[in-house]
Order: sequence, then structure tokens, then C-alpha cells
Amino acid sequence: MKIFIALILLLFFKTNVYGQGPPITVETPVMLGLEGNGIRTFGKFISKENVNVYVQSIAFPYNLTTKFQVGVIFPFKFITSKNSNTIGGFADMTVFAKYQLYKKDGKAKTFRILGFVKQTFSTGKTSSTPPIGSGISQTYVGIVMGKLSIKKGLYANFGYNITNNNSSDNFLYNFSAGAPLLSHKYPQRQLNTYLEFNGNYEFDSKVHSVFISPGLQFIPGSRILFETSFQIPIVQNNITTNKTNYMVSLGTRFLLN
Amino acid sequence: MKQIIKSIAKYNLSVLLICFVFALLTNAQVNQTQKWVFIKIEVKGMACPYCAFGMQKEFKKVAGVDNVEIKLEEGLVYISTPISQKPTTESLKQIIIDAGFTPGGIIFSEKAFKHKDDE
Repeated sequence: MKIFIALILLLFFKTNVYGQGPPITVETPVMLGLEGNGIRTFGKFISKENVNVYVQSIAFPYNLTTKFQVGVIFPFKFITSKNSNTIGGFADMTVFAKYQLYKKDGKAKTFRILGFVKQTFSTGKTSSTPPIGSGISQTYVGIVMGKLSIKKGLYANFGYNITNNNSSDNFLYNFSAGAPLLSHKYPQRQLNTYLEFNGNYEFDSKVHSVFISPGLQFIPGSRILFETSFQIPIVQNNITTNKTNYMVSLGTRFLLN
Repeated sequence: MKQIIKSIAKYNLSVLLICFVFALLTNAQVNQTQKWVFIKIEVKGMACPYCAFGMQKEFKKVAGVDNVEIKLEEGLVYISTPISQKPTTESLKQIIIDAGFTPGGIIFSEKAFKHKDDE
């Protein structure tokens, strides 16, 4: 792990490499290009002690203005418990809105802050065992920020998630640092690497989890992007059963217009 | 009869050739007299290739622009248009704002700009 972190740090300070894309498991404050009017698909395999879960999501962000984006995420979840068959179906749908609160642009660099609100509806069925949906509605209010230049990108998002049905509210926080691996000039293809952290703290149960998520992203052209991420737990406090072993994500983004 | 048809065909072909050559010459003359304006545009906030693509698309929509060159590292966009279709500074700044970036300096020139890469 130390060698990997050293490699990432080395890449940050390496010169003559240009360009990078949006972070993989962290929200981006740049609502342009592939993060604008496009489609994002994301497949996530979650290996837990007692169960394996595969979630295939498809997201449709849409820019109403350059400062205001709305979108919807449709997830399909498949759960395989030990000693039982796989069950699957439509899971909890999410709608979201991002609004640009602050922007400071410079020569080949930008710093942006967005307000981020999302509402997750209990659309997944809960009658099955195990349930596909969470059975609760969730309202997330947070901030997305990012400072990026053509040589590196630093991103963070954090926010409070309010739940109903006496479930515990939680605080979510994510960080990402990205750097390009290929030296290039616009508009040649890009290969980017990311080191990301994904944290979640549940207030009632005091469950705290943090994942470290190295990732790779390949952008062969202006309209398409492929990305993968491997998430490993580094903190799983107060979780007694069904801990997460690892998560693997594979995704793609298309630009429509 | 055959001879008459042959001579008519030859005559028509000759007329067609003359018209073609005349059209070529006229077109060449127009191109020679067509003046161009070269524009260097500073776009602040253009920090990633995937967002620069949006900027390129918007400038391609400007009347008369057929080539948009982006120098990401310098934060510059180069375009050229026929002088008859020269855009205003205000219209270019509005395009940049509408694309989600911040406009910087805009320079118009009758000569093509030299890029760092060319030197």
C-alpha cells in the first residue's frame, strides 16, 4: 500500500502530463462535457461476509443551465445470499439536483463549489428475503467541491443524510485525488488514476466505515469514458455481522450532445 | 447524320470545358480576395479536456468558423472567420459564459497567430 501511495504522490509531482477526467466514486463540481448532458452507467459488485450484491445503476444528468443540473438514477440490484438463490429487481430510485454556488476560474485551472441535494425513494421491493429496497426514504443535503488543473484534480463531497422510519441518519464524506498517466495535448486519449476515500458514519448505531478506493479511468475520445475502481475497507467500526470484504466497480459515461 | 451528332457532341464538350475552367479561375480569384480575421481567445477555467470539448463545440457554431484550435495548457482558443463574418468581442464573451467558463482577453488579428508549438 505504501508503494502505491508513493506512486500516486510521485505522479502528482511529475511534470509534462496533462489532463484528467471526473473522479470515479466522488461527485465532481464540474458540470461540463461528460458530466453534463450524458448517460452514466455503473456496475458495482459488493462482496460481504454473508451475501454478494451486484448493483447496476444508470444515471441521466441534465443541465438546465450551466449552473444548475438535475438528474435521476435508476438502480437494479441482484442479491445472492449464502445457501439461497439470487433475487433481483428494481431498487431505490434517486433524483438529484446540483447548483453551482461558487466558481473561481484561472488559466487552465478552476475551483468550484456546488450545493447537492438528492432524494431517494423507497421504490425497491421489501417483501423479498433479503429485501431489494431499503424500505426507507432518504434526503441528502451536501456540498461538492473541487480544485482542478490540467495536471491534477482534488475533489471532496460531504453531506448529511436524513432517513425516515426510525433509521439512523448518517454523515457521508468522500475525497478524491486524480492525476493523468499519459502525456498528451487536447484532444488525444487520456488514462487517469485516482486515489479516493469513501466514509460513512451512522449517528444512532455509531457505525463508522471508510473505504480506500484506487481507480483507473480511460477516455478514448470526447464522448465516452470507461472507469474502474476497487474499494477496500480500512475502517469498519461497530459492525458485528456481514462486514464488507471489498467492492469492485466498472462504469462508463457517454456524452449525448 | 453521325457526323452532325459527333460535331454537336464535340461542341458541347468544348463549351462545358471552357465553363469549368472559367468557374475554377473565378473561384480561385474569390479565395485570393477573401480576407480572414484570426482570433485568439483566453478562456479561464478550461482545466480538463472533457470540458474543453464543450467549448470547442460552441465555437464551431459561430458563423464562418470551421476550425477551432484549443491549447489547453495555455488556456487559449484560436478561431478564424472570413472578415465579413467577424464576430464581436461581446458575442464571443457570451459564448464562453454560456459554456460555463470565464472569458479573458480576446485579440483580433489579420495575420495568423504563432503558437508555442510552431516555434
